[in-house]
Amino acid sequence: MRPARVARAVAVVVLLTFTLFPAVWMLVTAFNPAANGGQLAPSGLTLENFRFVLDEGRFDTFLTNSLAVAVGTGGGSAAIALLAAVAVARFRFRFRTSVLVMLLVVQMVPLEALVIPLFIQARGLQLLNSLIGLVVVYVAFSLPFAVWMLRGFVAAVPMEIEEAAYVDGASWSRMFFTILLPLVAPGLVATSIFAFIVAWNEFIFAYTFMSDDAKYTAAVGLRYFFGLYTTNWGAVMAGSTLITIPVMVFFVLVQRRLTAGMVAGAVRG
Amino acid sequence: MTEPVAASIGTPPATTGGVLDRVEVGGTRGGPPTRRRRARPPQRNPLRAWLLLAPALLVLGGLLLLPLVRVTTMSFEDMSGLRALARGEGDFVGLDNYREVLGSRQLWLTVLPNTVVVAILCVVLTVVVGTLAALLLESLRPRTRALVTMAILTAWAVPAVTGTYIWIWIFNPGDGLVSEAAQALGLVDPGGENWFTNRYAFFAIVVINVVHHGYPFVALTVLAGLLTVPAELTEAAVLDGAGAWRRFWSVTVPLLRPVFAVVTILSTIWDFKVFTQVFLMPGGDGANREVLNLGTWSYVEAFGQIEYGIGSAIAVVLTITLLLITSVYLRTLFREGELT
Repeated sequence: MRPARVARAVAVVVLLTFTLFPAVWMLVTAFNPAANGGQLAPSGLTLENFRFVLDEGRFDTFLTNSLAVAVGTGGGSAAIALLAAVAVARFRFRFRTSVLVMLLVVQMVPLEALVIPLFIQARGLQLLNSLIGLVVVYVAFSLPFAVWMLRGFVAAVPMEIEEAAYVDGASWSRMFFTILLPLVAPGLVATSIFAFIVAWNEFIFAYTFMSDDAKYTAAVGLRYFFGLYTTNWGAVMAGSTLITIPVMVFFVLVQRRLTAGMVAGAVRG
Repeated sequence: MTEPVAASIGTPPATTGGVLDRVEVGGTRGGPPTRRRRARPPQRNPLRAWLLLAPALLVLGGLLLLPLVRVTTMSFEDMSGLRALARGEGDFVGLDNYREVLGSRQLWLTVLPNTVVVAILCVVLTVVVGTLAALLLESLRPRTRALVTMAILTAWAVPAVTGTYIWIWIFNPGDGLVSEAAQALGLVDPGGENWFTNRYAFFAIVVINVVHHGYPFVALTVLAGLLTVPAELTEAAVLDGAGAWRRFWSVTVPLLRPVFAVVTILSTIWDFKVFTQVFLMPGGDGANREVLNLGTWSYVEAFGQIEYGIGSAIAVVLTITLLLITSVYLRTLFREGELT
């Protein structure tokens, strides 16, 4: 028994090292006061790198842009997805299965392949270099999965509650706003956070659409900053930290709910 | 789906418990009691259903399907130069773009190997590392398992963009950790070796990055599957004298075949179109044509060379490949009855 336990402990240590090392290394470099902290043991603790990226690096602007785009995407995606989810979870109509299959297939379309046509479309509509243009694109990208996930949450609300509302004389829209909406609120939060993360992390479209550096999102801003200060790794890692931390917090908070919704969406009729 | 974290977070059944405990993971053959509840007919007002669907269908039609059609038509047009861009369309040239793409040495000697070999390496390593991690997690006590799972989730949450910069920093010539270690050990000359300019070293770093970012999804999904394997089966195998190796191949693998199918196919789809992790690497944005893959080649042709027609043709080749893989994925799902 003994050797097996030791082997298992070693395996856990190896796995955790591989898993956590990059994130830890990012933090160590970001908080290290040494000019270019390439050593494992930091020589102190400083916030100077963060001050530098926020001031000189203009990460305050980039992060604000990212926040605006991500919040817009989260709200828009959740609202549109809820309506669609109610339709596929609560109604029986022709082509319902086709709609569901389409939602799955569409998730597999490589978005990288759509950069060129969407760039030309957005150019024609004067939506290049606009945060709203990005929001619209990100809503479309996050929508298929958002509908798929919310469908599980809507299906989990018992039909009887809805019917009780009708018996009490409520119209469909009354039922929707006073019964269904509060009951699926947790699902809406999870969906918004998912869409938020999609928008926050996206790189290619933000990079292609935004030519004015005042409109850069944080992901694009990081590349821009890296181009200017290639050897200042402390600052590059501080910028990376600022981008990573919100996602990490959200992700760990919501992951269980997301996957639960996903599984429920997959198994219910 | 929407690339890395969208992909990672937004992916199917990574499952760590919670609501999941109520729903069966492996399949739904047992007929969950929830089914019964729907004795009354569901809503049958098709007009309202379509009204509710309308915004979603409009958005998806305008921003996913229309561009998909447009990229296909553009692949048959001569769209080079800024004038074509200003017009928004080019002259029809038939299969010329495809002839140029499929006839180029760049495709067969560089781009395709960079895409296919790297994808195969990434998928195999992701699934192997993920499965090993899942088996390890399963053998831990619940509290330790929760802690290690949390650590894996944290790593998963690192966005592809920042993750890539961290790996660049680790392998940076001269002052990166790996360079310093290699110099200290005398493996490379002082001053260091630039791994980013060597095609093989470049993609070795990409593979490490992609596997690190992709294995948590596999680990958590396989773990959810492992936890559904009935203990009696394992016990029976032990009684029959099967060792751990034998039990894994004769009991676990056959039972979890659908789970492995799903994680393998999804990983294949993601790793085929990997973009950010290549594009952000030094030289990955087209500066070094030795390290282009299908995704970055399409992008560089379109936005670097201003050849939107050629770029579109490459994008179409990539899309068709992925849709073929997707159709396998859908058939697997249907066969397992996970889709109603």
